[in-house]
Amino acid sequence: MAVTTGRVAPARRVSRGVAADAEQLMSPWLCRLVVAVLAVVVLAPVVYMLLLSLTPNSDVAIGAISFATLSVRNYVDMWSAAPVAAGLLHTLIVAGSAAIASVVVGLLAAYPLTRFDFVGRGSYLYTLVAVQTVPGTTLLLPLFAVLSWIQTTLSVNLIGSFWPIIVTYMTFGVPLSTWLLVSYLRTVPRELDEAALIDGCTRLGALRRVMVPIALPAIVAAFVFAFLVGWNDVLFASVFTNDSTQTLAVTLQRFANTTASSGIPLYGELMSAAVVSSVPVVVIYLIVQRFLVHGLGSGSMTGM
Amino acid sequence: MGHRWIDRPLWMLVPGAVAVFVIVVAPVCLTVILSLLDLNVSTLREWLTAPYHGIQNYVNAFTAPSTLGVSLGRSILISSLFSVLTTAVILPIGMFAAFSVHRRFRGSGLVRAIYLVPYVIPTFVTALVARIVFLNQSGALDKLMRGLGIGNGNTYWLIGPHAYWAMQITEIWATWPFIYLMTLAGLQAIPKERFEAAALDGASRRQRMRHVVVPELAGMLKLGVLLSTLFHFGNFTLAYVMFSSPPPSSVEVLPLDAYYNAFSFFNYGEASAIAVVTMVILIIPGYVYIRSTRMTARMI
Repeated sequence: MAVTTGRVAPARRVSRGVAADAEQLMSPWLCRLVVAVLAVVVLAPVVYMLLLSLTPNSDVAIGAISFATLSVRNYVDMWSAAPVAAGLLHTLIVAGSAAIASVVVGLLAAYPLTRFDFVGRGSYLYTLVAVQTVPGTTLLLPLFAVLSWIQTTLSVNLIGSFWPIIVTYMTFGVPLSTWLLVSYLRTVPRELDEAALIDGCTRLGALRRVMVPIALPAIVAAFVFAFLVGWNDVLFASVFTNDSTQTLAVTLQRFANTTASSGIPLYGELMSAAVVSSVPVVVIYLIVQRFLVHGLGSGSMTGM
Repeated sequence: MGHRWIDRPLWMLVPGAVAVFVIVVAPVCLTVILSLLDLNVSTLREWLTAPYHGIQNYVNAFTAPSTLGVSLGRSILISSLFSVLTTAVILPIGMFAAFSVHRRFRGSGLVRAIYLVPYVIPTFVTALVARIVFLNQSGALDKLMRGLGIGNGNTYWLIGPHAYWAMQITEIWATWPFIYLMTLAGLQAIPKERFEAAALDGASRRQRMRHVVVPELAGMLKLGVLLSTLFHFGNFTLAYVMFSSPPPSSVEVLPLDAYYNAFSFFNYGEASAIAVVTMVILIIPGYVYIRSTRMTARMI
């Protein structure tokens, strides 16, 4: 017995070594080189942005960065220099509503798509993929034409309100969350919701009480992806919002084109506003990082 | 034993179908109609009664330079070059990045997080930072180049023909992690036993790469290349935010061309024609993409 284990143990150690080495795809020095180069290339502009956000506008304009002048003043002043707070609020409303609506619609669709086999099931899924390949301008132009026509004939102000933009973001959010939830729900055994049906739940009840808690990770991921569509969009927001409803992205884009009364561009404050726009997104991504690869595998990352 | 329809709540599919129809299918058809009408600032609001224009908008778009000084043919070239070049450059970068962290090591979690940073920073923020990095003379790049003795530090990155390259470099910086993620997902799907078997058979690293990794990754990489080409062809945000308005003609990609035609110069019909052309160009890669997801759908 002792002899046997004595023999097995080193053999295992060897095979483990082989396994570890087998996964090493490049020579160690090449790995280190790639990591070092990419880390510098990635982090240099990020550090530069952070430094600029702490540098007075006048110094940024002439490209003078010195550690002696670093101060958080930009982070205080930017709120009055541009409607950053309002933009943030509008983005939260628009992106949040669109994401919630997308997840609800996606969940409703994903449930029958994974539970039943019916005519048109494949077409439904392919149509959702096809939708993601339609270029944004092809949607923007006719939507704007229709909305301005409604505005003129019915005198309802739609352009500038939140509705069109929320609905537009759903174009991207619904296919995304449907695919993500379909790929997740198909791994949930049917016995679970059948048990709920036997216990007297309706289909909707089974979805709400059984599926939602189980699929919570996928729901969170779908929400995040749909939310980021709205957070990052400039194309639709720049046309469908006005001064009192503009989103953060539009606020910053306009801010970049303004100069102070002294004629100096407010690039220092612009960078602090840019940092404020990025931090929430970076934090959210790091939290849901493990879903990223999963989401990619199911083809639900286009349109971003 | 058949289910009654009540047991199969297919009505749940309706909201998604309606959303897709109202916001995608109908507008796409409408764009085609708009592209055949004579639409300008005065007729836009009454587009239902605007005069029929035939293919005049298409002819105009292709023959006359737009208000930004670029004809549609030129815009197609810029968009195509941008899309193909970006994909060609980010493919090896993303693959090497994935290979470098595939085997876990101390600190690999941190490296993986760093790799994601360019991808997760919103494009509009990347564009704004690029705007300052590429500033003439006072920007970081011109300063660096002057320090290294390359050029005179007066590159004027944000205007003229250099603007294209400033945009190209920025896009590469921002999007290589997409290929990295695709490659990583592909690598994770390869059974460990395949690596081990190859290693036990005495295959060198190079042989394992050629006979195990590359064949197994081929499907995922093809999808990555396809998606990247599609996605970069539709680039709007970077070109729009990175440059002051109106942007230099060297960066006039198709969406920018359509946008400025529609919302700055009110050539709405011509803008729609450009949008239709964009869509037609994307039909072939789009079709291939839809076909390729068939494989995924079959598993579902």
